[in-house]
Amino acid sequence: MIEFRQVTKRYDSDHTALRQVNFHLDRGELAFLTGHSGAGKSTLLKLIMVMERPTAGEVVVGGQQLNSLPKRQIPYIRRHIGVVFQNHQLLFDRSVYDNVAMPLEVMGASPNDIGRRVRAALDKVGLLSKEKMNPLQLSGGEQQRVGIARAVVNKPPVLLADEPTGNLDPALSADIMQLFTEFSQVGVTVLIATHDIALINEMGRRQLILDHGRLVTGGGAAAMGGVSGY
Amino acid sequence: MAVWLPVAVLRQWEVSVGTDSRQKQEARRGADHRAKSPLKAQARSYVDHHHKVARDSAQRLWKTPIASLMTWTVMGVALALPLALLLLLNSLQGVSAGWESSARITAYLAMDIPMEQAREAAEEVAIDGRVLSVQLVDRDQALAEFRASSGLDDALDFLDENPLPHTLLITPEDSARSAEGVRALVAFVEGMDGVAQVQVDLGWLQRLNAMTDILARAVWALALLLGAAVILVIGNTVRLAIENRRDEILVAKLVGGTDAFVRRPFLYTGTWFGLGGGVVAWLLIQMSLWWLNGPIERLAGLYGSEFALQGPGIDGALALILIAMLLGWLGAWLAVKRHLDDIEPGDIAGG
Repeated sequence: MIEFRQVTKRYDSDHTALRQVNFHLDRGELAFLTGHSGAGKSTLLKLIMVMERPTAGEVVVGGQQLNSLPKRQIPYIRRHIGVVFQNHQLLFDRSVYDNVAMPLEVMGASPNDIGRRVRAALDKVGLLSKEKMNPLQLSGGEQQRVGIARAVVNKPPVLLADEPTGNLDPALSADIMQLFTEFSQVGVTVLIATHDIALINEMGRRQLILDHGRLVTGGGAAAMGGVSGY
Repeated sequence: MAVWLPVAVLRQWEVSVGTDSRQKQEARRGADHRAKSPLKAQARSYVDHHHKVARDSAQRLWKTPIASLMTWTVMGVALALPLALLLLLNSLQGVSAGWESSARITAYLAMDIPMEQAREAAEEVAIDGRVLSVQLVDRDQALAEFRASSGLDDALDFLDENPLPHTLLITPEDSARSAEGVRALVAFVEGMDGVAQVQVDLGWLQRLNAMTDILARAVWALALLLGAAVILVIGNTVRLAIENRRDEILVAKLVGGTDAFVRRPFLYTGTWFGLGGGVVAWLLIQMSLWWLNGPIERLAGLYGSEFALQGPGIDGALALILIAMLLGWLGAWLAVKRHLDDIEPGDIAGG
């Protein structure tokens, strides 16, 4: 579902964020992306979302080569990638419901369809009763779950998460990880960038470890399946 | 293609992802639904979305009434000024057209032409297609009138004979009342036997026309400049709106909003600004008309003229509002073009 082939990303002549990164994530796979800050985690996620283009190598998502993708096709790729951010990126000028509905509105779904799918997503994260509230009224953990509901509301085949448990206590983090696991069980490819070593160890899933832009663990064909734990 | 390719990709992905039976079922149901009338459903949700965005943009303007009103007023003044001048110009041209219609050609016959021949000449002119009516003024009758109106009674008594010739007063047909038509008619009358001199005073009319032509160009230039100003004002206002809604734009782009989707609310905002500006301009014009019409009628009355300022009318008001909306849209489009592309979600995720 996600494949990196010899991907290098250089920002300036002296700053290389990623060096010849190779890996392949299957459908339904859940993997962690770790490394020191500045190791290139965010760059890697940005390449998948086509926020950045690789300097060399190929990024393939869902069978689609992203390097040659025309700019006006980018939105259609993003509709198939759910993203969860550390700081949620929720909009506080509208209700929880309207926040979660955004990916569907962008696609031009009908109001009926939107209502059904938004409630299904909110139900999934256990916030169905709070759909009319403003996200500001929710706790940090609840806000994060709204962000997750928004990321999965249109059933994307790929789910990316950037430090999704960064501000949460261990119990809440475990809840959120449970959600991610459930998504991967229904076939969603989940890639979670995180620092939370304890959490990673607890989960026992495949790890992609970046060090100064190099993928030191978890890349290549040999690692596929072996570490992923199911 | 921009529409169909993503749908194809979506289907391919839905199929490849649907391992869960429930999800599969749903995907199939979705596909069936789409297969029934994909275009119709798509068109409907598109129209629905436009309605929603249009309403939402309008509500946003209402929420900040003072700021919106100020923008509307700036637009209104900028639009009302050239429009007022255009209306004035129209009224002036109407007046000059009225005067043109009263243009009469005076043909003085030679002194030795007897009355019968003068009558024949009058008939000959009268049958010409370009002539509406001909009045023959007898030289004796003319002298009598002159005597009565000039007060030169005594002086005229010293004359041995009547110094005035028979005269034809020719009123041209409507179609011949243009400057060229009158000139051609004058040439024709001048060529007739027994006509000594033809007089028609079109000079002042031509001068007036030349002046209104210059004025018209100046007004159009002014309209162009103020139109550009309107576009810039709206562009700047929409730029601020874009800044205010930066987060929303970022999220919309992140979840796959196309450029058109992201632009739409701002284009509507610009259009609504245009609508308000057009209405304000119309109100300003109507108020000015009401304010000025009394004195102008009095002045025109003193000159014995029918001159009155013409309002824009319903057609004019609609055209004004439409043009204002178009200018608003254009201003928003420029702002969106320039500033929206700068907002890319690249800076959302940290380094």
